[in-house]
Amino acid sequence: MFAKTQRNNLTQGTAVVPKKKDLVRRIIQYKYFYLMFLPVFIFTIVFNYIPMAGIRFAFYKYNPFAPPKFIGWENFKTLLVNPKFIAAFKNTITLSIVNLVLGMLVSIIFALLLNELYNKYFKSFVQTVLYLPHFISWVVTASIFYLILSPTDGFINQILGFFGIEPIYFMIEEKWWTPIYYFINRWKETGWGTIIYLAALSGINPELYEAAVIDGAGRLKQTWYVTIPGIMSTILVVFILNLAKVMNIFESVFVLQNPMVLNVSEVIRTYNYKVGLLQSDYGYSTAVGLFNSVISMVLVIIADKASQKIKGSGIL
Amino acid sequence: MQEKLSFKKGYRGRTIFRIVNVVFLIFVMILMIVPILKILSDSLDTAGTYGLNIIPKNPSFLAYKTIFTTTALYRPFLISIYTTVVGTAIALLLTTFGAYVLIQKDMPGRKFFVWMIFFTMIFNGGLVPTYLLIRNIKLINTLWAVILPLALNVYNMVLMKNFFEQIPESLFEAAEIDGCSPMRIFWTIVLPLSKPALASIGLFFAVEYWNHFFNFVMYITDTSKYNFQIKLRELVLDSQNLAPGAEAIYGRTIQYAAVLVSMLPPMIVYPFCQKYFVQGVTMGAVKE
Repeated sequence: MFAKTQRNNLTQGTAVVPKKKDLVRRIIQYKYFYLMFLPVFIFTIVFNYIPMAGIRFAFYKYNPFAPPKFIGWENFKTLLVNPKFIAAFKNTITLSIVNLVLGMLVSIIFALLLNELYNKYFKSFVQTVLYLPHFISWVVTASIFYLILSPTDGFINQILGFFGIEPIYFMIEEKWWTPIYYFINRWKETGWGTIIYLAALSGINPELYEAAVIDGAGRLKQTWYVTIPGIMSTILVVFILNLAKVMNIFESVFVLQNPMVLNVSEVIRTYNYKVGLLQSDYGYSTAVGLFNSVISMVLVIIADKASQKIKGSGIL
Repeated sequence: MQEKLSFKKGYRGRTIFRIVNVVFLIFVMILMIVPILKILSDSLDTAGTYGLNIIPKNPSFLAYKTIFTTTALYRPFLISIYTTVVGTAIALLLTTFGAYVLIQKDMPGRKFFVWMIFFTMIFNGGLVPTYLLIRNIKLINTLWAVILPLALNVYNMVLMKNFFEQIPESLFEAAEIDGCSPMRIFWTIVLPLSKPALASIGLFFAVEYWNHFFNFVMYITDTSKYNFQIKLRELVLDSQNLAPGAEAIYGRTIQYAAVLVSMLPPMIVYPFCQKYFVQGVTMGAVKE
């Protein structure tokens, strides 16, 4: 942009300007931009790249009374046989994947139902209500459900009590915690999840429906042969994008878990927080974090390649 | 596509479906709203029965009055407002500066900057190294430890860049010919033209700051520096009432009221900017 006029002036001269000079000139020309980029640059270095250098801690043994000792891959050997870590790994995968699949299914169904509404005002009203919980923080969400599911005076147990059912300890019984976790996630994110499918639905060419009607397709057939294929690429893209985030599951679990349900609710990042910051085992917990980061990175790269195949552009 | 509801032959199935659909969606809406309504009603209930009623028995604003007159309770509220305002301002500055630089196609080294920023999306040092960094630069127990790490968000920067790219390039060229400096173009052309982008991304940041709690858990041990979310955790979750009979310090009604108060700001702002949020989410994600 800025270089354009300048370069035109340069090439209008008789002599050919040497490349190097041109580069220096352009750098000088863009000096303000480098200045503008400086804060971003500093932030990135400090908050992203300096911690990356900190992954070397994963290869050290820390103890409070001696200098850190280099122990190579020892921490990784420890964690791979640690039953707590293995359980956390399993829970991460289970909770994430089930949540992802449920979330997509429910959101797609709701997007299709919303798409069938003809009254514009009613439609946007429903959407507003469905999006609402997305803006409620996880802490507040957890608070709401802890209060509502409380065994002593929670709303749900009041209703059960009305029918003569004993109070259920929803949040501290393992068999209840997992389904409640999925339900709360749906309550919070279903509406938000429909946005992207609704956008894809509005992009389907109406002529396709007209053609289907002429061919004698009913509403169901139209949905099956026009609507679903029309949003299939979006579904795939959302799926791989979310797959890249499988290891990141954290906040929702962190606020909903409690000591009674650790067996089903401890995920890698909550485990990492506990061994790292509460027990100050820096070496081992950095190894846990690194393990997680590496898996995440591989997933993101795979997702990027897949996305390039499907929609021709990567996710990055 | 607008059809009239009719029970004529051939339209019957369609009509029944549409009625059922509307009824079902209304039911789901109620399901979404009931938990919030119940909390609202119980926060106004001084009878302390918290029964099956949705209408409070002896409505009074006592709990809310307590929240806004007890220092221990309103201080976190002010901290929340402070971090949200300061954080959003810093974040917007970084985001717009970064995005403006990233659209300069001829800038030497731009590719390197892009790569450098994107790589942070793929890989990070992890929890403990980040904690040790904050400790080493002496930010522990300051609000900066919460504000600064959240201020740089690559995803939002890319959104902002996409918005900036929609500004016609002829405008830049015209301004350049008139002798505007890049900075001046930024303040007088780019920013005024991207008001919707600033509003939406600013709101993303504001909601993020308002709802944030984990950096407080990590870096803040001084209880006078807690924000409202952390206070709420203390009030409701830490006294988790897992065992029957366990009561928090302030009692139930205050807990209910605190939940409501912390939800309020995002709830008030959200309907006004729904369309921006939607635009932000769908940008670049749907195949053209």
